Amino acid sequence: MAELESVIPKKSNLKRNIWLLAFALVFVWSVWGIFVVETKWSNVGTIAQVLRAIARFFPPNWGYVLELGQATFDTFLIGLLGTFLSLVLSIPVAWFAAHNISPFVPICYPVGRFIMTISRSVHEVVWALIFVAALGLGPFAGILALSLRSIGFVSKMTAEQIEDIDYRPIEAIRAAGGSRIDEILWGIIPQILPQFIGTAIFQWDINIRRATIIGIVGGGGLGLLFSIKMQAYQYSDATAVLVAILVLVLAGEYISTKLRSMIS
Amino acid sequence: MAQHNGAEALRCENVHKTYQGGEIALKGVSITADKKEFVGLIGLSGSGKSTLLRCINRLVEPDSGKIFLGDKEITSLNKKQLKLMRRDIGMIFQEFNLINRMTVLQNILSGRLGYVPLWRSTLRKFADEDLEKAVEISELVGMKPYLHKRADALSGGQRQRVGIARALIQGPRLLLVDEPTSSLDPAIGRDVMKEVRRISKELGVPVLISIHDVNLALDFADRIVAMRDGEVISEGEAGEFNQKRLEDIYQYKI
Repeated sequence: MAELESVIPKKSNLKRNIWLLAFALVFVWSVWGIFVVETKWSNVGTIAQVLRAIARFFPPNWGYVLELGQATFDTFLIGLLGTFLSLVLSIPVAWFAAHNISPFVPICYPVGRFIMTISRSVHEVVWALIFVAALGLGPFAGILALSLRSIGFVSKMTAEQIEDIDYRPIEAIRAAGGSRIDEILWGIIPQILPQFIGTAIFQWDINIRRATIIGIVGGGGLGLLFSIKMQAYQYSDATAVLVAILVLVLAGEYISTKLRSMIS
Repeated sequence: MAQHNGAEALRCENVHKTYQGGEIALKGVSITADKKEFVGLIGLSGSGKSTLLRCINRLVEPDSGKIFLGDKEITSLNKKQLKLMRRDIGMIFQEFNLINRMTVLQNILSGRLGYVPLWRSTLRKFADEDLEKAVEISELVGMKPYLHKRADALSGGQRQRVGIARALIQGPRLLLVDEPTSSLDPAIGRDVMKEVRRISKELGVPVLISIHDVNLALDFADRIVAMRDGEVISEGEAGEFNQKRLEDIYQYKI
């Protein structure tokens, strides 16, 4: 036995137990804070009252299906145009932030990386609130919010793909007397295009979801309709909106999966 | 220093190159290649053969020394002049360096990029005469039946033929060939060597070829230049290289 322990020393459980104890303390503290201190139990209804409140959402009201269809289409378009604009804006950002082709690394590279970080670290709802404040309620604010939010992901993926390219074709183009632009057009773009399209489809799928959320704070489409219905206490109308959102998101996900399997 | 005379296509004088990090690749290399001459550069890997080839079209910038193509000094050209000069120097690569997602035709046409204006490069729309030339050259290297096949669907030997065609469509006055057979099966490598030699003789283009396979070099080259540690250590007609001399070059029993 002693021999075994010299080869495989027995581990001390002390460290693990301290971690477990710390975790348990944090958990108890959280539950106490939320359910004992923060919750006013007098405001929470009986189970019957809760069920009755939920029942007001049913059945969904399909009486205004045309308006609903219009809002669904708006949300779809906001997602599409927001994604499209983000693709266009991501190209210069990726160009700046790809270390191997950045036009002037000491300045352009940090600028590109900074734009990426800002875009990704600000939530789409915050972007939407900013643009609603600047441009007023409606789809235009939503489109700008989505595109600004998406630049980070699209340009980061694209910049990484550019940094991973195979240099051999570029060497050949240079040896034949091709210009820097020829190298990008013939050496880089054909290599990254399929991945770029994949990224774009993936981002479009996510942006349909985001488009519904930012609608709630004024970005137009289904989200805006949902918040209007809720504020007017028309709960069965709101349920119809939720169903429409579900259908749209599922359809987007289905199409996105199909398209991406087609390119790969 | 070699005197300039009209028969020389390529002349390198005392070319030095030290890479960043201190690795000395070339220690004053001087070589010449006559018009229509097929010159084989032999030597172990790391002897400076690839660096020398890349200094000639300045894919690698030499530290000092002069390189002439005809009576033009390549080493004194500015960026713009260099691009124009590179059109006259075709290069064939060890790993083919093709654009995988493009067709054979597009890959061959990419050899014309030094000639075409930006809009043609952007739209990938070439003049009819370039297309005709591409088809003609594809026939010369036996790739005409595969013009619309993607490069990544080809075998190694076929890829190298496309690489040859891409270099030829430039209308080169010199071919730089970097280990063309190393990525190929021996028999196919031999076919490729045959092809390069045939075409260079047919078109009258001098060839400088780096090749570590001594037998291929002896079989195909008119003249051999042997390098070791960044220096030329031996030079002469292919027939003059007997076993004793080769063993000295490689410091190894063959």
